[in-house]
Amino acid sequence: MKKMRLALLVMAMALVPATAAFAQSAEGEVIVVHGVPELPVDIYVNGELTFENSNFGDVFGPLALPEGSYDIEIYATGADPEAGDPALAGSADLPAGAVATIAAYLQEGGAPTLGVFVENNGSTAAGDARITARHLADFGAVDVLANDGAVWEGVTNGQGADTDVPADTYNIKITAAGDPGTVAFDADVPLGEGTNTIAYAIGSVGGGSFQVATAAISGLAEAPAGVPTGTAGLASESNIMIPLALAGLAVIALGGTAVLARKEQ
Amino acid sequence: MKPTAQQNKKRRGGTLVLGTIGLLLAVGAIALFLGTVNQERIVGDIAAVEQSLDSAGATSALPPSSNQRQQASVPTTQPQSSQTVAPNDLSRLDQLSDSSALIPVRLEINGISVDAPVEPYGVDSRTGQMKVPRNVRDVAWYQYGPSPGDAGSAVLAAHVDLAEQGPGVFYRLRDLNPGDTVVVEYSDASVGTFVVKARTVYDKKDLPLDTIFSRRGSAVLTLITCGGGFNPSVGSYDSNIVVYAVPITPAVDSPILEAA
Repeated sequence: MKKMRLALLVMAMALVPATAAFAQSAEGEVIVVHGVPELPVDIYVNGELTFENSNFGDVFGPLALPEGSYDIEIYATGADPEAGDPALAGSADLPAGAVATIAAYLQEGGAPTLGVFVENNGSTAAGDARITARHLADFGAVDVLANDGAVWEGVTNGQGADTDVPADTYNIKITAAGDPGTVAFDADVPLGEGTNTIAYAIGSVGGGSFQVATAAISGLAEAPAGVPTGTAGLASESNIMIPLALAGLAVIALGGTAVLARKEQ
Repeated sequence: MKPTAQQNKKRRGGTLVLGTIGLLLAVGAIALFLGTVNQERIVGDIAAVEQSLDSAGATSALPPSSNQRQQASVPTTQPQSSQTVAPNDLSRLDQLSDSSALIPVRLEINGISVDAPVEPYGVDSRTGQMKVPRNVRDVAWYQYGPSPGDAGSAVLAAHVDLAEQGPGVFYRLRDLNPGDTVVVEYSDASVGTFVVKARTVYDKKDLPLDTIFSRRGSAVLTLITCGGGFNPSVGSYDSNIVVYAVPITPAVDSPILEAA
């Protein structure tokens, strides 16, 4: 009976942790990316002016928001939201505990659009970093290389991917897919431990506005598994006093036996 | 033949001496044994220190945002506030740079004769454990955590001993008590002073890793080494000795904090 109760308790505890974390604060986070060149904008969230006069390349956040649904409307800076339609509009559902990127960006061919992308905010192993790449530029498929080794190949507009690597500085290159000679981006990028560094390729290569904007989700690192700091046993708590005390008692016992033996004679 | 009175006397005398020696040995050994057992394994308010460190950091579903160094200039505001939100300062990939924070370079604990260099250490990718020095003299600072004095637990680890090298720089960590002083020298030659709040022994299998390596919460300086029982067949101890210290607040004229 006791054993069964314990098993049930363990099961219940196993189910609770995920929801307990969410229950503490039913929030998510958003990152907002302005990836449309030559278009300063005012961005309204659920009808409120939230980002004013934002320029191409601006990244906001991660910003904490209550979980829920958000309507996004993007107007040219200064335009009266009552007077006309937004240049771009869309909605995003933000679940608790999630991190989402809301990006205004160019499709291949140049038409602006609004996209929502869920980011990987899972924990990283101690010592690891995470890199995310999102192709949000007016350009064909690309390859992404780290230290001249291909990480992702043939990534097209609107696609993205992430991977975990040992925290370090890496040379990151973005080239036309299968064409290492056509380099759109080449820079040394520090990938911090416990951080998801998100690289958004935005703008137009043909139009000369191509660039890579970034955001970072931090605090993902797990603790190391232990701290191994002793191999000689010199500080061991095992006591030599016990054998010593026993030896002393043995001597007394011997002495006592001897006394008794004498008395018997 | 019956022994003579003189022979009896000698024997009784010999027995008496033997008995006395034995008694003294036993009493002395028991006293010493009790003495070492009574040296407290846990001193100070461990629970208070553990609670002051936000142990939810690595496992929370929602990571912190605006308080991290990489996001130094990002405000966390609700969109319904009257203020609009400013863009991040560092949004261009080639502008990212490591914040070169102040790092510890030396550790001095006069009470246990520690005066040792400190170097940044990461993770042993093979074991997932914290990397530690290969010698008994150096102190390792967990480079992915805070620097001593910054929010969260700054971890300094060193060997209690190493086979082939003998006692290590943290051999006497278990002799530290609340109220003892710990001094850290930083890379810019500045100095931070800390006072021990608590010391404890954790079984390695129960080591509260998320607390000890927490990067949020109160500023705590965590000194850690091995201890407890030793298993010669695997060459390792079964426990970790952990000393928690806190920065002495910069109120210049106040006395050194007494342990609660």
